[in-house]
Amino acid sequence: MSTLTDPRPATARSGGPLHGLTWLVWRRNRTAFLLLAAVTVVVCGYCLYYRAGVLDFVAQYGNDIRYSEKFDKAYKEVFDRIYVLSNLPALLGIFLGAPLIAGEQEHGTVRLATTQSVSRTRWIAATVGLPLLAALVSTTLISVAFTTLWSPANQLVNYGDWLGGTIFDITGPVPVALALFLTSCGIAVGMLVRRVVPAMVLTLIAATGTSIAMDRLRTALTTPHTVTGPASHDFPAIPDSAINYDQWLGTADGRLLGWGTCVDAKNEAACQSDLGIVHKIVEYFSLDQMAGMQWRGAGILLVLTALIVAFIVQWTRRRPL
Amino acid sequence: MSEAIAMEARELGKKYRRDWALRDLSFRLPAGRVCALVGPNGAGKSTFLGAATRLVRPTTGTLELFGVPVTDPAVLSRFAFLAQDKPLYKRFTVAETLRMGRELNPRWDQAAAERIVRAGDIPLDAKVGTLSGGQRTRVAFALAFGKRPQLLLLDEPMADLDPLARHELSGLLLAEAAEHGTTVLMSSHVLADLEEMCDFLLVLAGGRLRMAGDTDALLPAHALLTGAAEDGALPREVTDGHTVVEHRVTGRQFTALVRSEGPRAELPDGPWETAVPGLEEVLLGYLRSPEAPSLITAAARPSTHLEAA
Repeated sequence: MSTLTDPRPATARSGGPLHGLTWLVWRRNRTAFLLLAAVTVVVCGYCLYYRAGVLDFVAQYGNDIRYSEKFDKAYKEVFDRIYVLSNLPALLGIFLGAPLIAGEQEHGTVRLATTQSVSRTRWIAATVGLPLLAALVSTTLISVAFTTLWSPANQLVNYGDWLGGTIFDITGPVPVALALFLTSCGIAVGMLVRRVVPAMVLTLIAATGTSIAMDRLRTALTTPHTVTGPASHDFPAIPDSAINYDQWLGTADGRLLGWGTCVDAKNEAACQSDLGIVHKIVEYFSLDQMAGMQWRGAGILLVLTALIVAFIVQWTRRRPL
Repeated sequence: MSEAIAMEARELGKKYRRDWALRDLSFRLPAGRVCALVGPNGAGKSTFLGAATRLVRPTTGTLELFGVPVTDPAVLSRFAFLAQDKPLYKRFTVAETLRMGRELNPRWDQAAAERIVRAGDIPLDAKVGTLSGGQRTRVAFALAFGKRPQLLLLDEPMADLDPLARHELSGLLLAEAAEHGTTVLMSSHVLADLEEMCDFLLVLAGGRLRMAGDTDALLPAHALLTGAAEDGALPREVTDGHTVVEHRVTGRQFTALVRSEGPRAELPDGPWETAVPGLEEVLLGYLRSPEAPSLITAAARPSTHLEAA
């Protein structure tokens, strides 16, 4: 009844689609979300723009490693620019994750947010959930866009090396899992350190550590194929799309020796027969193993992410912030 | 038991690592009062407010706000809390700050919140970070009152304000509280800040409750006696049947703050001068003498478990 007589308050109508905690979390991280959206749009547009040219090249020459040098001359810069994307998960951790709770603690606003009428559990769910959702959506779109640019020319880009360079980390599920992992790391570190700048520095260190660990982890994600040939010939051939992981010399009784064992000997054949070497063995990862390796790596990161998020929720529910 | 109880604590305690910040706190605050929470620095005032606002988890005991235990998230809509540094999001505009109140509180009163802000001539589109201390406190008040709390908890609300803003905002606080029948509890380590505004007093020292009750019930029970000492000590008539809160003997003269017990309290009569102490004198007497028994008036005493059942 009072609605007829009361003048409508000036701000009551301003709304938009977001409400409640969703609105608060959006408003608090607006700059980061808008920046992330802009980066996503630019990267997706960029990938689609160059995809036509890449497809033309493939149509003309084929997705064939023999033309990779020619491809590299034409498209090296296009792809080099995209490789900076491998830093996106770390940037999300440092600039979105680390200040998320630490900023509220540093400015005391956590006491404002948690004494409104919404429970702390709902508050932490929104505070952690929405930025992770933003990271998930953005990195998924970017990964899909880049993967569609790269996969038709996967023999040409970076001379067909999909394992050693950044390509493994920015295609398929890997960038998404890395982004979620590092963002949650940043949130947890910030929550524990309670200061924005130290939290950002520690998150940078964590991101560097993750990158080093990923370099070691990649080749451990699956068992490489092996191909064995006679010692008298060259090392056996592997498919063009495969990545040569390691080479061995094998003896009849099954011992493996380093591939360079007889390289310095005056008579290689004599050296090999003296040592009883009868095989040349190549270990390699084939391209069809890539998806499995990526999903396995992403799975490990996602399990860690879930553990970290569970820790954040438990910690904020039980302790004063 | 007709009067509603805004706050009831039973053996409330909080231990930080090895030290008790709050111990055996038992009292009740009837609804509608404006209560001062007074005590020296480190007395446990902020810990107590933290326990009431779910920011601190009590180690022992219970605390209920309007019958809802603070362990229940439902209690969040019953109170509004203004922390000492009045935290607000600096990059929000005033309008966005009020919108936060609207988005997070089901009983939000936008008109009341805007009225409080407008009365201070604060533009709604101003960024909170650009406001003066008094203006920020006003916005924080608007956020607190817009929530339509039954209980308003304020931690040192006037501490960082100049006298003009202090006067203006305490007037606003009392007017809004009176209009909506809000129970108010505010802390300060300076009683003089609150003496004029409050009709109920909670005194903490060393984490324990020293005094609790209506201010006009606390005072009349006390007398300030001045007279000749007997052999360098208080005359026996003074100590018999009365509680001596604090006394001092200088030369042949004594001064004593005494409290009479019992319903028909009578002050000791004798060859000495009797004066009515001020609230501050009584308060200081209790704070200076930790061994003196605490004074909890009937209105502030929690119901026994038998009564509650």
